[in-house]
Amino acid sequence: MAKITENTRTEVREIVLAFFAEECEADKSQIKDNTSIIKDLDGDSLMFLELIEIFKKKYNLDIELKTIGKYAVKHPVETIGQLIEMQMLIIELENRLLELEK
Amino acid sequence: MAGKVVITGMGIVSSLGYDLETFWRNLEAGKSGVKKISLFDASTCATRIAAEVPQDFEEFSRTLVKKRAAGQMTRVTRMCVVAAKQAVALSGLDFEKEDKSRCAVIMGVVNTGNSSVEKDTSPQNTVFKSMTNSMPAWISLEYQLLGPNFAINTACASSAYAIATGMQMIKNNMVDIVIAGGADSIINPEEINGFNALYALSVANDPPEAASRPFTASRDGFVIGEGAGVLILESEEHAMKRNALVHCELAGYALTSEGYNIMAPMKDGTGMAATIEKAIENAGIAKSEVGYINAHGTSTELNDRYETMAIKRVFGEQAYLIPVSSSKSMIGHTIGAAGAIEGIITILSLKNNTLTPTINYSDPDPELDLDYVPNVSRNKTIEVALSNSFGFGGHNATLVFRKYPGN
Repeated sequence: MAKITENTRTEVREIVLAFFAEECEADKSQIKDNTSIIKDLDGDSLMFLELIEIFKKKYNLDIELKTIGKYAVKHPVETIGQLIEMQMLIIELENRLLELEK
Repeated sequence: MAGKVVITGMGIVSSLGYDLETFWRNLEAGKSGVKKISLFDASTCATRIAAEVPQDFEEFSRTLVKKRAAGQMTRVTRMCVVAAKQAVALSGLDFEKEDKSRCAVIMGVVNTGNSSVEKDTSPQNTVFKSMTNSMPAWISLEYQLLGPNFAINTACASSAYAIATGMQMIKNNMVDIVIAGGADSIINPEEINGFNALYALSVANDPPEAASRPFTASRDGFVIGEGAGVLILESEEHAMKRNALVHCELAGYALTSEGYNIMAPMKDGTGMAATIEKAIENAGIAKSEVGYINAHGTSTELNDRYETMAIKRVFGEQAYLIPVSSSKSMIGHTIGAAGAIEGIITILSLKNNTLTPTINYSDPDPELDLDYVPNVSRNKTIEVALSNSFGFGGHNATLVFRKYPGN
């Protein structure tokens, strides 16, 4: 479990925005929390998986993909803001993510 | 059965250009696209030449394929998507105005291009690059089409099969529009060594441009080419409704198998002849109408001998009056894309009243005595032309194209 600080949040946001700007050839300054990943950026669900891999490596996370999958089914991600929030939860809780459902 | 099927769009990516005008200009000039292999170090291969798509294609493709999607495609798939987008653009189709459930995509796919020469594949993209259905899938996704969408693999006849299948689907009133064609590249060490082991490839490496020599006495095997060809097939009724420019009619086809050998064509070209005969019958034309044959013409010993015998068997004495040329002398053998690329060349020949040559025809095989349009293109008005494709495994296809009135 990683300790979440304000720096972590800033770092995660920066990585997410840079990733979408690069992959979707979008202007990073135009990507906001309410930007739709599919409608506005023409992104795809695979990008979520790729970001998880990036964060798993960066923060040495212990989390199984199926755990994230189970959580994501009940908490679908549509916007950049939602995606950042979910990444923060994944970093913070790792495999305990599903405990939020109890 | 619906009425005529017409061609309203074409797109090309090849060693001689990735737009129709450049491609045609180079063919007409009898240029060769064969060069030393640059995609990998071929110095240890017996064959070290191929007809590669120009390197600046990648830069061009970025104008038509978004970066995100491009990363999930192989280089060959990008060729296919680029050719499809060119074909759609030329057709003037706006799919937002179409019933998308009546629009199909059929691609001839033998190899996805996910070989050792494919670079920068992330683990998440490995599957997408290996899926043999990826080419039609990406095209369908591009336009959000809802009709049938699939790949056909019949080796070197694959994209001819795709075109023929598309024609039949329109004839059967299943769909109005079919995006049909194919793309391929086997320019990688695994395939080259494999084909070299079968003695199928030319090893006349120097000079590269002289290696593909269909119908000559010194021919020593085919030269690998790569690229994509995509056509827009449409019911004539649908094309007329939207006032589309028709490039020609796809008048008929034949698809057969030889049931003979995994590699060699049936002795004396009897299987090939049966295919040509059936295609003529299917098109409802007289043999005397055939003014040109774009041959499979691989530059291999057996194909060129048997294809010549097949043409003589079908046409008799008339065979000597029909010009027959091999585009593979210039662009190499593009395998799964060959049927579509050579179909496009056949259509352009009908439209432009010009027959493209068989280059490197310097030492005729005395036993192969047809008019192979040697070395230089020829002005000739033709009304009907055939395009042959014959694949390993005995997959045969002949397409029949007819000039469209008023065009």
